[in-house]
Amino acid sequence: MTTSMTATIRERVARIETMPSVPAVFIPLLEMLNLPIENVKLDEVVKLVSYDNTIAAQCLRMAGSPLFGLAKSPESIKGAVISLGLRRVETILLTCCLGHAFPAKSLAVDPTAFWRHSLGCAMVCRKFSDKLGSADGDKAYMAGLLHDIGFLVSCIAFPKELGTALVLATKEQTPIDEAERTTMGFTHCDTGRALAEKWHLANDMVQVIAHHHDPEQSEAAQPLVALVHLSDLLCRMRGMGYGYYERRMVDWVGDPAWAILKKEYRDLDGMDLARFTFEMDEAIGEVFALVSAIFGGAIARN
Amino acid sequence: MITGTQIATTMPSPVKVGDPVDPIFRQIRDLVYKVCGIFQLEEKLYLMADACGRRMKQLSIRTLREYWDLLTTHSNREGEIRQLLNEVTIGETCLFRSPPQLDALRKVILPELVADRSRQITKRLRIWSAGCSTGEEPYTLAMNMLEESGHLLEGWTVEILATDLNDRSVETAKAGVYGDYALRATTDYFKRKYFSSFDDKKLQARPEVKKLITFSRLNLQDDSRMLFMKGMDLIFCCNVLIYFDGPSKAKVINHFFNNLNFGGYFFLGTSESLFKLNDKFHLVHFPGTIGYWKPSLKSGKL
Repeated sequence: MTTSMTATIRERVARIETMPSVPAVFIPLLEMLNLPIENVKLDEVVKLVSYDNTIAAQCLRMAGSPLFGLAKSPESIKGAVISLGLRRVETILLTCCLGHAFPAKSLAVDPTAFWRHSLGCAMVCRKFSDKLGSADGDKAYMAGLLHDIGFLVSCIAFPKELGTALVLATKEQTPIDEAERTTMGFTHCDTGRALAEKWHLANDMVQVIAHHHDPEQSEAAQPLVALVHLSDLLCRMRGMGYGYYERRMVDWVGDPAWAILKKEYRDLDGMDLARFTFEMDEAIGEVFALVSAIFGGAIARN
Repeated sequence: MITGTQIATTMPSPVKVGDPVDPIFRQIRDLVYKVCGIFQLEEKLYLMADACGRRMKQLSIRTLREYWDLLTTHSNREGEIRQLLNEVTIGETCLFRSPPQLDALRKVILPELVADRSRQITKRLRIWSAGCSTGEEPYTLAMNMLEESGHLLEGWTVEILATDLNDRSVETAKAGVYGDYALRATTDYFKRKYFSSFDDKKLQARPEVKKLITFSRLNLQDDSRMLFMKGMDLIFCCNVLIYFDGPSKAKVINHFFNNLNFGGYFFLGTSESLFKLNDKFHLVHFPGTIGYWKPSLKSGKL
């Protein structure tokens, strides 16, 4: 990508004052997520959520989903925080907030497909991270949730261009980022990066958003970027992609991302990929139900 | 032994989709996966519950706890696990059983193999349906290859080898006569194009379909014959490995690996896994299905 193109993207992203209809709690919430957990106060999170009834209700509905494994649905945000833990509730909140962030008149990306993919990827990232014995499942979840956020930006800043790229990807059954490169010369990773920097997201998230299609190019947090990369591919192969047939084969073990992860997790080769895939399939129905429950209203507005 | 307190002590009542299942069926599912490599999805656990009920009736076992003991501590436990799995998968076979596999074959694999071999003089494709039972799989493959004969496979020779241990199955397969149940997933297009009526209830595969297939009896454990099955591009072995114990399974898989050309593909049943049986194959994903790939020499990832 040329320097002038980067400048154009930055400029167009800068002109997006705020993401349309992003709930007021969104930015303070992101700031909180950047803080070390011991600096986050339970009461502040609860207060933040209580500003917005819709968000609070959605958050509770989501916390009660079987995906989070609570025996009983929490009755209050405070209850949810106590049962699920602060970080988990923060990521749930973020999911709900993002549900409102999609442009009201999307010309290109189907909001349902976008949320199914983002939420699905978030779930897979967390499961994958758990399988690896990593302590940072919630960070992986957030990375999965945010990785394609560039599409939101592109829908607003480059609606026609993105529309053309999606038509091409669907017609040729190729990955969207390839089609974006062909028709636009840049991708949702570039627009996502501009937004992530504007929002002052933590560098790990910036790297995930910018490099989930080429993890070996990321300047930091390579294992996290690699994990998101593989989870993204898996989602697209198991019915949680962008709603069209991608004519391709995905070889996890042969992927450079696998080599990156292997440096971090020595016994990666001992992972039962088949079973992981089957277990993931079991979560798909739940992800779809959640998307309707959480984002149904937001999507219906469009 | 069983842990947990909620073990049903009587015959399981028929479980309907959506009903919560007794946790013991999850343990049985895990046991079946460990021994046979076939994974029952959560949403299909009711089938497992039904099958347990039928086996218990046949064996006059009254409680699930007794049946669990039979599956785990009895000297013939592996035999019983296989019987149970048979009971679960009974009557599943039909033509066009796994559309995602066929899509992977026609949309991803064939274009790649054809491009790869475009410079070779002999344009020949060899496919092996190992454990073809009564022929549903080889006929399905043959029809799909014929569909490509005017396009991708123009000028190519396709040979399908279909083998089974059971003489009677092979004879039935040769006849190529199928009723409504076996043809339940076959579209009218394929029925009209590739079948003629056999009697007022059944259809018979046309000679041009049969011409592609060579049927023969073969024991996959017959090492001397297995050594001569060389030069395959694709091998399908769906729901057959369940009949072998661990070491024989690994040996059979090794034969399959050696008999495949570099860059060739191996397919199991949709919920089957090769985990711990072979580490030379790469588990690869296609949309909606898993396959195993013998890395090509040029990929350098052997």
